[in-house]
Amino acid sequence: MSQKSDELKIYWNKIIYAFPILNDNLSSECTDTEYEEIAHIITGLSIQVKIRDLILVHIEKYLRHNVAPSFWSKFTKIEEEIKGFQLFKSAVNDLYESVNSFSILLRRLTLLNNTCCDNRPIFGERDVIQGFKQLVRATLLSQLPVTFHVIINHFYKLSFNVFDNMKAYEDSFMDEDACSGCWNEYSECNCAYIVKVFYDTNRKLVELQLLERLAGQVLTNFIQQRIEAHIHKLCTGTFDLSYIALLEKWLDVTVMTWLTRIYCAGSSEPPPDDENVQNAIAKFKQKLRYYLYHSYTKLRIDQLFIIIIEYPDSRPAISDIKVCLNKTDLQKSLCKNLQNALETRLLHPGVNTPDILTAYISTIRALRHLDPSGVILETVTKPVRSYLRNREDTVRSVVSSLTEEGTGSELAEELAKFAADNDEEGEKEEAWDEWMPDPVDADPRNTASDRKGSDIISMLVNIYGSKELFVNEYRTLLADRLLAQGVINTDKEIRYLELLKLRFGESQLHFCEVMLKDISDSKRINALISQDKNFEEMNNKFASNAMILSAQFWPPFKDESLELPDEIKEHLADYTKAYETLKGNRTLSWKPHLGNVNIEIEIGQKKLDLTVSPFNATLIMHFQTKPEWSLDELHEMMKVPVNVLRRKITYWQSLGLISEKSSDYYVLVDGSEACKSNVPSNQVQEMICEDEEAESVMASAHDQREGELQVFWSYIVGMLTNLDSLPLERIHQMLKMFASQAPGTECSLNELRQFLDTKVRTHQLFLQGGMYKLAKS
Amino acid sequence: MAQNINPHYASSSNPAKQNEDTIKLKDNHAVSKRLQKELMELMRCADKGISAFPESENLFKWIGTINGPLETVYAGHKYKLALEFPNSYPYAPPLVKFITPCFHPNVDSCGLICLDILKDKWTALYDVRTVLLSIQSLLAEPNTQSPLNQQASYMWPNQPEYKKYLDEFYNKHKDL
Repeated sequence: MSQKSDELKIYWNKIIYAFPILNDNLSSECTDTEYEEIAHIITGLSIQVKIRDLILVHIEKYLRHNVAPSFWSKFTKIEEEIKGFQLFKSAVNDLYESVNSFSILLRRLTLLNNTCCDNRPIFGERDVIQGFKQLVRATLLSQLPVTFHVIINHFYKLSFNVFDNMKAYEDSFMDEDACSGCWNEYSECNCAYIVKVFYDTNRKLVELQLLERLAGQVLTNFIQQRIEAHIHKLCTGTFDLSYIALLEKWLDVTVMTWLTRIYCAGSSEPPPDDENVQNAIAKFKQKLRYYLYHSYTKLRIDQLFIIIIEYPDSRPAISDIKVCLNKTDLQKSLCKNLQNALETRLLHPGVNTPDILTAYISTIRALRHLDPSGVILETVTKPVRSYLRNREDTVRSVVSSLTEEGTGSELAEELAKFAADNDEEGEKEEAWDEWMPDPVDADPRNTASDRKGSDIISMLVNIYGSKELFVNEYRTLLADRLLAQGVINTDKEIRYLELLKLRFGESQLHFCEVMLKDISDSKRINALISQDKNFEEMNNKFASNAMILSAQFWPPFKDESLELPDEIKEHLADYTKAYETLKGNRTLSWKPHLGNVNIEIEIGQKKLDLTVSPFNATLIMHFQTKPEWSLDELHEMMKVPVNVLRRKITYWQSLGLISEKSSDYYVLVDGSEACKSNVPSNQVQEMICEDEEAESVMASAHDQREGELQVFWSYIVGMLTNLDSLPLERIHQMLKMFASQAPGTECSLNELRQFLDTKVRTHQLFLQGGMYKLAKS
Repeated sequence: MAQNINPHYASSSNPAKQNEDTIKLKDNHAVSKRLQKELMELMRCADKGISAFPESENLFKWIGTINGPLETVYAGHKYKLALEFPNSYPYAPPLVKFITPCFHPNVDSCGLICLDILKDKWTALYDVRTVLLSIQSLLAEPNTQSPLNQQASYMWPNQPEYKKYLDEFYNKHKDL
């Protein structure tokens, strides 16, 4: 019994001699021949599996207690880069050495493992060496300290600096005293040393398969920073070039070579037989490529507002974004960013409506190019549309830029383009095989054709949801223009009208047609009447031309009272008579406050030729008969409100013809005085002579709408008289039920609320606890 | 047989009944249209002192308001009425009664009105406006010959006393 145990003890000692690791020791003096003998003993006892497992346990223990702690102990938080560099280098070297010192042990273990027939994988690997490497990695990473990246950071930062510098060094002459790679004097430059260490360390890490784990994050961060910096340097501020190809090339050439060097210890070509390295590099490249697109798109998104404003010139930038959007998932952030940019930079009271419109139009164009499906456009411009809807002069701006003459008016060009495009519409139906489904984030309420089909003008028109408003505004604008101009270029107007007809339809613009016809008819009638014998003698006194408008078709005029002098009235009555004889059973009803009067004023030696409004002409004519008037007397004669009168009389005061003697009492400045006070040459007069009244004579669309809402007012009064008090919603509902036949048809809840609020302000209604009530009369 | 027939009509076995239904339906529509037109007219003209409007979405039930005619004992008073239109309107008169209690020889305590044009003298030419105007003038000139309210009829000849009593009555009941 004791003999047996002695025997075993000898065996055990021999095994320990062969595998000193069992005593937590690595150095073995055992030679190969000795080992063979010992191996025999082990197989003889058939304990090879047990021994192998025991050895593995001890290896693990050794790694855990010695190798890993000594490796990580070097990873301290250190400020100086060069120290960090050294530390990391020595850590990797030590690790490499201590791992290498396992080699004899591993060789024997492999032999031993071969004699075991259980085929059990060692740490998930078939091969002992691979299993060991796996074990090293696992043990190391299980003890990873928090601040491990600090010295790695230092290491790579320093090395990259050197690399950069070497590249720059090749390109240009050095003109600095210190090497910008290692910040040493050139004489002490240790760039070469750094490069050598760098390659060496990397090679060791690759061999240990630790590069990815330890340095991967740091590397990625570095490269990403580089990419960002490069993109910023290259692309900021210029939008008229496409950068995608340039950037891709840069990534392929500069960045990838460099990365390959790290992985392949200095050579710029990956070893063709090592699949691991190739895979790692390929993976890295994919990541970087994505990151490149990502950062580029982000940069562009931040500048998107400016890009859009500069649109036709910045087309390449938009194309770039278009390419990148397909490769990244930044569409949402693009929408959000652009929306924010629009809201903060465009949609505030400080911006003129025409400017907003211009921006809106180029947004439409740019986003059309970026995303032909129109989904982005729809989302992004929603706040713009709702903002424009609240601006009072939107319609006016749109319509006036639609009909503006010459360059700079994009809408006018657009209008002409529409006419040209219109003929091709039919062919689109046939392209059924090019159909694409809507993107997932599209609003399902609108169809693709809605989004695509609508061009810029209809998008502007759609801000309000109806053509009518625009047609009405155009009508008002046209009326203004026709009445304001002495000489009317009807041909031009007719051309625009034809273009507009193509868009809005014949029926909508019928009124405008009649208006234009009125103008040409008036010319003809004027000519006929002036030939009339009875009228001719009258006309000798002063010539008159009438503009005969069909009241039904013209927009309502602002009502202003003006009593013309008797002389003029008689003359107009004669004109009416002449017209009546000419036109059978029709007559004229004069609008005395509209039109122009050419007058000649002789005062002293001075002669003035003026074109003024009837108002001013009447005013000065009264001074012809009597040189002094009080404001009240003028008010009696002209039937014009006193405050308006006071305002108008300033025109003549500015010409120096009338002066205010005492308050509200005006005197004609007589000839001699006029000469003195008005010595300045004719130029000055001509300047002021232009009629100061540039304001529209038409009731604006806003006023018209107010009038339409008045129709509802009688219904609301009726409702509230009988039902006492009602909430807003009920009133709206009732109006929809009962007042829908009335003109003005539709009225939104919001509009009604505003209307009712004005009534509350004028004390016609009370609002109490959400209920509207009639004020007690 | 055609397939796209309303199953409701198709299943109805009695053609006479079906006919009746459609006529009624059509009539109903005609009445609505007439009432709508009357409403529009009423809103457009806006006579002083009378007014009416549908009570809710139902076009057949209206609320009317009459101001007491000037220079009568009723001046300054305001009376609410309920108007209910039958399906046969305008061939049958609307049912009109006071909501605000009204002390008047021809109005009973429930608000029912004794007025010939609302009964046997009704013709299709009358409308809401004329009915309300008639009631307004009835306030000024009651028919004391066939009273519903004996007390009022009895007091009517003594106008100052009537006025005193009426004001008291009105102030007591107007908020009901």
